[in-house]
Amino acid sequence: MAHPLERDPHQLPPESFLEEVHSFAFWFDAVQGYLGDLEHGHRRETPEAVLSPLEREHLVTVLCNYCVGETAALEGAGGLIQIAPNRHAKVFLATQTVDEGRHLEVLTGRLRELGVEDPEAEIARRGSRSLQEFHRRLLELVRGRDWIAALFAQNVVLECMEFAVFALHAKRADPRTCEVLSGIVKDERRHMGFGENELGRRLRDAPYARERLRAVRQELDALVLGSFEETMDAIGTPRADRTELGSHYLAAVARLGFA
Amino acid sequence: MADFLSAYSIQYWLESAPQGYLEGTEFGHLPGEEEPKLLQGDPLIHEQALRTTVQLVVGERCALSASSGLINAAPDEASKRFLATQTLDEARHVEVFTQRLYDLGVQKGELEDVIRRYANPNLVKFAEVLLEKVDKKDFVAGVVGQNIVLEGMAFNVFELMHAANQNLNPKFAHTLSGTIADERRHVGFGENRIGSLIRENPHRKGDIERMQKEMSYWMLATFADSFRSAPAREEMARARAQAGPAAAPSSWHGVDLGKADPEEMEHVLADTVLADFKKRLGRIGLEYQSPARP
Repeated sequence: MAHPLERDPHQLPPESFLEEVHSFAFWFDAVQGYLGDLEHGHRRETPEAVLSPLEREHLVTVLCNYCVGETAALEGAGGLIQIAPNRHAKVFLATQTVDEGRHLEVLTGRLRELGVEDPEAEIARRGSRSLQEFHRRLLELVRGRDWIAALFAQNVVLECMEFAVFALHAKRADPRTCEVLSGIVKDERRHMGFGENELGRRLRDAPYARERLRAVRQELDALVLGSFEETMDAIGTPRADRTELGSHYLAAVARLGFA
Repeated sequence: MADFLSAYSIQYWLESAPQGYLEGTEFGHLPGEEEPKLLQGDPLIHEQALRTTVQLVVGERCALSASSGLINAAPDEASKRFLATQTLDEARHVEVFTQRLYDLGVQKGELEDVIRRYANPNLVKFAEVLLEKVDKKDFVAGVVGQNIVLEGMAFNVFELMHAANQNLNPKFAHTLSGTIADERRHVGFGENRIGSLIRENPHRKGDIERMQKEMSYWMLATFADSFRSAPAREEMARARAQAGPAAAPSSWHGVDLGKADPEEMEHVLADTVLADFKKRLGRIGLEYQSPARP
């Protein structure tokens, strides 16, 4: 059998394509390409930037909020395995679960590098209330075994939010934070792709579900945008600079066809 | 606790499992390895291989469901991250054992029917006892059920199968050796993490010990069904003779697997697993409860 990277999965029939791209082997070959030489999400030799006390304080607050989002993503992905309708989806979600766990690990690792001794306590103290409410609501959808709505909340709304925030932040971040975020963004693309593909097929077979997703989105968008506001308040972002983040998130969702 | 959990980080897992003992493998075995012709040519042995592999898929599906379900119940972030790696390990096991069913000739469209036909009902009951705890988000009972009882059973079953297959079927033996390495890590986490939680929650002991007793009963009933319906010793000897002298199996816990009859193998497996439970439960402060013998 050819190595997964030596064969083009797009040449496969639809069922075999899904089996291939949702497999452990495919995941490993994908992440190996960009995680192979990293330790805790960044290259060992990448220097630590000199941050002013205020810059460090802002970065810690932002990273704590990322950790709230990644904890929600970790618990959400684990829970989704229970309700996934087939083996391919379960195996893909298992790879996503370990991705989310890795994100949480590298982000808490970054907090430690910045001198935070007890990241869990700091995350609880600095986490945005809107994001915590999002976390609660996501797990409620998972526990309700509502596959379409829960997958939408996790792999479209949450992943698009993280994608938009991390991609934007990476452009301006210090070198180590930039490398950590860039690795995470590559994973998020895969997760968004799975959500788009799975939901696209479901919506084609059951177009009435689109209305349900619209209602879920309306509720969750408010929490996403609220969490942006809270975090930007906490780090003192000027009003004029605030629209870019919300626009990035809304554009990411629209690109997946869920505008 | 944080120091011991650092040995269960995702960074460590990436370096030891996918970049370590799984590097260069394909569905857990070396590229190009195939099931021996004997398995395809002898209907009795072929059905036995299907039946055995189905139990592995059922057990691993239960482990996947339990480890992923426990993430939400874990009381700390490091345990959540370890369970994320365990979730992916279990998904990989589901994948490699499912692939073995395909390699044995099961068509993709008939997979679920084959699993339903051969799944041992006692193993399903064993899984239900554990998954009920997971559904209730009972982390302490869930980790004992998953990482001590289920993984302890799997570890010994895989070791026995590995010993029986390393000469007869190197492909299957290689698949098993990767899963054994994973199970060893999972059992270690269960022992290390749960000991402190049991000490903090001594009132939970009775309930968890009852769960261990019940799971152990269904495990023994599964072993009894499997070995009592296995091909007779004469049949196995005939098949081995066909495979040639290089296929001679090793011994396991002092039992010559080439000469032992199914009853003897059932006893050595059951006794080994139960002795292991007793030792591991003792280490975390629980008293082993002897199950009834089916």
